[in-house]
Parts: sequence; structure tokens; C-alpha cells
Amino acid sequence: MLNLVLMAMIVALLIPLYQAWRDEDIWQTMLALASVSAKSAVMILLVSILRDDWMIGIVGVIILSVGNAGFMLLAHILKRMGDS
Amino acid sequence: MINLLSYFCLGVGLVFWFWGTVSLLSSRSVLFKLHHLSVSDTLGSIAIIFGLLLRRPTEFPLLLLAILSLVLWNTMLGYVLAYCSSSDSNDGGQIDG
Amino acid sequence: MDSYVYIITALLPLAASMLVFQTNPYHALVIRGVLGAISALVYAILGAADVALTEALVGTLLAITLYAVAVRSSLVLRLGVLKDDFLAIEQDADQDHTNHLKQKLANLRVLFEKYHLRVELVPYLDHADLHHALINKEVHVIYTQSDAKAGYTGDSFYLNTRLQRIHEILNADPSLTSVLVDINALNPKEVCL
Repeated sequence: MLNLVLMAMIVALLIPLYQAWRDEDIWQTMLALASVSAKSAVMILLVSILRDDWMIGIVGVIILSVGNAGFMLLAHILKRMGDS
Repeated sequence: MINLLSYFCLGVGLVFWFWGTVSLLSSRSVLFKLHHLSVSDTLGSIAIIFGLLLRRPTEFPLLLLAILSLVLWNTMLGYVLAYCSSSDSNDGGQIDG
Repeated sequence: MDSYVYIITALLPLAASMLVFQTNPYHALVIRGVLGAISALVYAILGAADVALTEALVGTLLAITLYAVAVRSSLVLRLGVLKDDFLAIEQDADQDHTNHLKQKLANLRVLFEKYHLRVELVPYLDHADLHHALINKEVHVIYTQSDAKAGYTGDSFYLNTRLQRIHEILNADPSLTSVLVDINALNPKEVCL
């Protein structure tokens, strides 16, 4: 049953991937990136529960708590590129 | 009983995820998509992690930390993205709902 | 092995080919972030927790920030302008001369947008300084504006560049006039000045 949930999550992950491939505005790609990173971290947590493996779970939590800081930096750099 | 509740939470989370990401495909403005995406991603992820928490109460501190960081960082990232993208499109023109 | 492992592993080449076939460098940066997230997921699912953590922290966080700085500082076309004109453009002065210049600048920005280059203005004091900066490779393009002479009806706005490729790009646009300056043909002493 959890396997099915994971499959549905993979399908949900494909949508922002498609959005990132279809490049229009850089901010839309950025939104897709934020979505993909949050989704993949939650998927890592789900797999850790599925396999009863602590180590993977810790990785998921660290990605969730640290990874977003890099995207904020990237957003600011992209903004500076836009208005110069 | 707990198992059923857990599946219910996972299902709600998935529905939130799909609802938010499908709005990403529409051709609305960035801020509209950002609003939908941040709301649905945060709420959906919290629901999913809560469902996992019901299944494995022993991993309670780890999952609680995940929920907390998700709430904090996703809100902040949403704010930063909105700030950056709106000041960028000021000279570009169109901001429509 | 469960079937979901295969499906998730298939996402990795998908994201990687998206990155490879992306031509816009800024979009490629963001897609590098997507690839980092997906590869962290794949590594974690295949059981390599330490590799996944390194990918997320170094590969995504640090590498993207460094790439962003590198792309931002290298993909730029520096255009040397006179200080007076620079100030006039900054303050949005409404004169014939400034409007003409702004029009040309907008053309230039649109032209180089296709090549993902930003146009950055570098102010210089007078024409001699401007020419000197071009020879010393401080700027890529400068402009000179000859006064409208009697009998000359064409555009009085010239762009001087020292790079062959930029000269070709500029000449492809009918609204811009470009002159190629061969800095290697100049006296080496003059270059050292």
C-alpha cells in the first residue's frame, strides 16, 4: 500500500519536472525547483519509514532543513541579474 | 484504526500535492502559482509526514523536526521568491491575478 | 528489489538530459538544482545516505551558488560610455541625444539577449579614455558619436569593438553600425601605456 503511495508521489514529482523542462520564465523554473526539492525530501522520508531505516530519514530531514537556504541565495542572484 | 487514519492522512497529502502542482501547469501569473504551490506543498507535506508519524511513533523527534523545518523554510522561501520575482517583473509589466 | 526503485532511478537520466539540452545558462543553473534534488533522492533510495547528504549539501547548495556567481560575472558584454551620457541615462534625462542613446542601448540589449549576454555600462571620462579602455581590454565595445558633418546623412552612432564575433553579431543588425578595431595591429608601446 505504501508502495502505491510512493508511485503516486513519483507521478506528482513528474509534473514540476515537466514544468522545468518547458522553459518560459526563469521564476516558473524556480518554482518547479522548490516543488521538486520539497517533494523529493518527503519521498526520502517515506522510503525511510517504508524500510524502517533511520539513516535515510536523517538525510531527508537535513535536506529539508538546509537545502532551501541555497535556493534563497540563488533567487537573490537571479534577481540581481534581472535588474542590472 | 491508527493504520486507517495514517492512510487517510497520506491520501489527503497526495490530494494537496496534486492540486498544487496541477496549478503550476496553468498559464497564470507567477505569484498565483507561487501561492497555490506553497500552500499545497506545505500542507500536503505536513499531512504526509503526520501520516508517517502515526505509523512509526518511535521516530517522533525526527519527523517533528521535519515538520518544523518544512513550515519555517517553505514559508520563508515562498516569501523570498515572491519578493524577488515581483520586483523583477516591475519593468516587465504584466502582473495579473 | 521493488519496482519503485527502478522508476525513481529512471528519473535521474531524465533530469540529466534536461540539463544537458538546456541552452540558457540561467535555466540550466536552476535545472542543476532539480538534478541535485533528484540525485539525492536516488542515492538515498539506493541506500547511500552519506552520498545523498554530500550531493544535497555540496552538489546542490555550494556548486549552484558558485556556478551562479561564475555565470553572472562571465556572461556580460561591457560597453564603455562617456560619463556625461552615463549620468544622463541613469537620471532618465529627456533630451534628443539621450533618447537616441537609450534607443540604441535597448536595441543592443535585445540583440544580445539572444546570446544570453547582459549589457553592462562602464563610464569613462572622455573619448581618449574610452579608446584606451578598449585597447587595454577593459571593455568589449565602445561607442563614438561623430558630429553630423555636412554631406553625411547616415547614422552618427558608431560602435567600436575589438572582437571579431561581436562585430559579426552587431553587423547582422541593420540598426547598428559597428567598426572592428584590430588591437593587435596597433603599436605594442601604445598598448602598454
